[in-house]
Amino acid sequence: MSAPEIVFDNVSKFYGEVLGVNRVDLHIPPGITSLVGPNGSGKTTLMNLMTGLIHPNSGVIQVRGLSPYAPEKLMRILGYATQYDAGPRGATGFEFVHTGLVLFGFPKAECERRAWQAIERLGLTAAAKRKVAGYSKGMRQRIRLAQAIAHDPEVLILDEPLNGLDPLVRAETIALFRDYGANGRHVILSSHVLQEVDVFSDQVILISNGMIVAEGQIKSVREEIHEHPSQFLLHCRDASRVASLLFAEPHISEIKLAPEGAGLLVLTRNREAFAAALERIALSGIDIDGVIPTDENVDALYEYLIGGGK
Amino acid sequence: MAVYRRGYQRYDGALTSHFARLMVMPRFSWERILSQRFVVILLVVSLFWPLLCAGFIYLSNHSELWQGFGGGIKKFLAINGNFFSIFMNVQSTFALILASVAGPGLVAPDLANNALPLYFSRPLTRWDYILSRMIVLLGILSLVTIVPGLLLFGMQASIAGGDWFANNWFLGTGIFIGFTLYIAMVSLVAMASSAYVKWRVVAGALVLAFFFLLAGAAEMVNSIFRVDWASALNPTYAINAVWKGLLDVEIPEDKPGAWECATVILGLSGGLLALLARKLRAVEVVK
Amino acid sequence: MTPYQQIWTIARLELGRVFFSKRSFWVYILAIFPSIIFLGHALEANLKKRNWGGDRVTAAELLDKVQSGMTDEQVLALAGKPVSDTTRKRRVRRNDEDPEAEKQPEVRRYVMYFDGKRRVDLRFEDGKLVSRNARELMNFEDDRRVYATMFQFFYLRLGIFFGCLGIFINLFRGEMLDRSLHFWFLAPVKREVLLLGKYLAGLIAAAFIFGTGALLSFLSMVLPHDPNEVATYWQTIGPEHAFWYVAAAALGCVGYGSVFLAAGLLLRNPILPAIVMLIWESINGFLPDVMQKLSVLHYLQSLCPVPVPLPNDMPAVLKMLLAPAAPSSVPVAVLGLLAVTALVLFAAMQSVKRLEINYGTE
Repeated sequence: MSAPEIVFDNVSKFYGEVLGVNRVDLHIPPGITSLVGPNGSGKTTLMNLMTGLIHPNSGVIQVRGLSPYAPEKLMRILGYATQYDAGPRGATGFEFVHTGLVLFGFPKAECERRAWQAIERLGLTAAAKRKVAGYSKGMRQRIRLAQAIAHDPEVLILDEPLNGLDPLVRAETIALFRDYGANGRHVILSSHVLQEVDVFSDQVILISNGMIVAEGQIKSVREEIHEHPSQFLLHCRDASRVASLLFAEPHISEIKLAPEGAGLLVLTRNREAFAAALERIALSGIDIDGVIPTDENVDALYEYLIGGGK
Repeated sequence: MAVYRRGYQRYDGALTSHFARLMVMPRFSWERILSQRFVVILLVVSLFWPLLCAGFIYLSNHSELWQGFGGGIKKFLAINGNFFSIFMNVQSTFALILASVAGPGLVAPDLANNALPLYFSRPLTRWDYILSRMIVLLGILSLVTIVPGLLLFGMQASIAGGDWFANNWFLGTGIFIGFTLYIAMVSLVAMASSAYVKWRVVAGALVLAFFFLLAGAAEMVNSIFRVDWASALNPTYAINAVWKGLLDVEIPEDKPGAWECATVILGLSGGLLALLARKLRAVEVVK
Repeated sequence: MTPYQQIWTIARLELGRVFFSKRSFWVYILAIFPSIIFLGHALEANLKKRNWGGDRVTAAELLDKVQSGMTDEQVLALAGKPVSDTTRKRRVRRNDEDPEAEKQPEVRRYVMYFDGKRRVDLRFEDGKLVSRNARELMNFEDDRRVYATMFQFFYLRLGIFFGCLGIFINLFRGEMLDRSLHFWFLAPVKREVLLLGKYLAGLIAAAFIFGTGALLSFLSMVLPHDPNEVATYWQTIGPEHAFWYVAAAALGCVGYGSVFLAAGLLLRNPILPAIVMLIWESINGFLPDVMQKLSVLHYLQSLCPVPVPLPNDMPAVLKMLLAPAAPSSVPVAVLGLLAVTALVLFAAMQSVKRLEINYGTE
């Protein structure tokens, strides 16, 4: 039985003099993991390293106990939808998915069944017999996804899978990821749409300039960032009274009136003390309708850790 | 629904001429090609033969230097159509190598990287594109062909005098027309190879293979049919025959003559042009 | 799926692409071109026989009496009306007034006779016979020698060389350019198995195309001749010749294919080693014996059943090109070629394991 984690052990990759990734140490558990970082930060490099398309200059990589140097074993449990837009010359959508399955050793009927199943899942049945070169960008993205899931892999690696998809297909694709992630499988994807990453990711890996800046669940990562005060939105009727009470607390660094009467935007350096203060205020009879953390999301993490942080 | 004030005004000032716009691409291409070390080395090496020929012309026009050598030497040192024919033969080899190095990089990268829509979405037709690419090769190849050829002719004319020029003016026009035809043919081969295979490296080999394979095929036809007319299908022989015709050098009677070879070259060039026009499209429709 | 099954599966998947790729049609032309030429020659000869036959035939004994130095009237009186008679006046040239310019004849007359088998071409300059050339329209032995020359000089050296270059280079380097190689690397297949599968696909396609081309051209050369001659030939050495020509073509694909596959993997610009190999094969005859064994063409030339005729007046350089200095025996040639191929494929397998997908640098 393969180990459940994907492990990077002190992995570095250089493209000549250009740094790809530097001394990466990661333990990625099953679930949906998002790779977040600016362009050129090393997200695709990490994915290509995991799948053996490129080799590290130093370090060791294990994907559920298997080495990327053994594609005959690894690719049975791994599916990768790359960023490369080109498809095999002259292949139809069906041929593209079917060809990959043939090499798994499935009988002919089984290959066809799986291929059609994957194509139907991605909504490309009508276009399956057309050449991939004639597909739109979104269709090419979907056929790559179909090819990656056709053999029902344990590890699904997706490079910017939501690129070029319309909102409806986007939602269906995210549902597909959730399905996979919920069954103890690895889903590793990169995306620039941080709001969506927020919604479906179990954990996040932030990468910048080839180095891992943070990894883990979004909330835990946020809690460890002490340089930036936590932000909360307080819904309350007597905003000025609550504000004046909070100002007395030493851990509060800033309070602003939220626009359009939404409440108070509070910045605090100590979340536990803030929670205790809120409790005291509530017990004193002042109504507090809601407390929403406004920076426990990938957007905020990105801004703080990579973007130079405000 | 908001209605926006239409403040946009199209530019209505002066525009550069069509030719000036056409020359934008060659300017950048020349810069790129001439920055390659191998090209510069080849250009330098290709000037040795014209230098030797210049020395030859000097010797030919200074009989006092070879007085004691006997009658045959005068015939050997004669500056005539034969002399320029040999000069053109040698320089054409350098031109071919240059074309196989510089030519494929003109079209193949545009096709491979899908850059043609960028070009054709500007006021640039396919023929403009082809012409501008040919101008690149015309510029580079004329440095090793037309320019040294006319310089040598000019040198001979200035040393030998007006009488020689009056009797041999056709050599100058022959060099110019002959080399122009050759450059046009080689450019079309290089560009067609580049458009056909999209891979710069293979296109370069295809340019060379085109000449070698056709020469081999022509010889094969000649030997199997026991004829000589197939030599016209050999581009190297064909262009040589045209040159000889322009320079008034005798061609053996049993071999294809200048007119037949010129027809074959024109036909070949037409075919290559048609291939180029077919390949160079802004959009490739895949059904 | 065992590795052998995977090799065959990959070969099967690739075969369609290799055989029917639009880019590969020029490979078919290279393979079939000699057949077309030989068939054309046979058709032309038969047409000429028909057109020149009947009352236009001149007796061979009369034509044998025509000697150099005879005048055109004498020849016409002896041999009668020719099949063709063309007169060309000398073109006025610019150097006509030059006393040192070589004197050219004023009138050239070309006369051709046919004796039912041979055509006799006579050239007269200013009325005197200066050249007499007699040859058969279709001579079996002559054609076999021409075929041997064509096979060694064009088919092996140029046709199969460039054809294999086009087919095998596309297998890896071409896929890198198409940005589709990673699909193969993402399949559950060892890289070495992938390489062997692709090589097998290229080999089947190339060997079929050029083997069939060699057989077709051989048959195109043999069959149009006199049926009795052909029957005798087939009952004696004919099948052996046909076999070795096809075998040499197929083994050429084995050897060249492995080299170009490896070149495509090891080098970003595989054309340079192809050019080096072309030059290496050309100068192979000059090299010491041991180094000659490192040439594909050396073994292939040893397998060719008919030696290429070398005219006495052929320059020494050309003689060196057309005949191996120390031909190997057939078993040594076959085993040597296979050994060279195995070595090259082994190097390629080591290289493919380290290959990285980095399309941006192509």
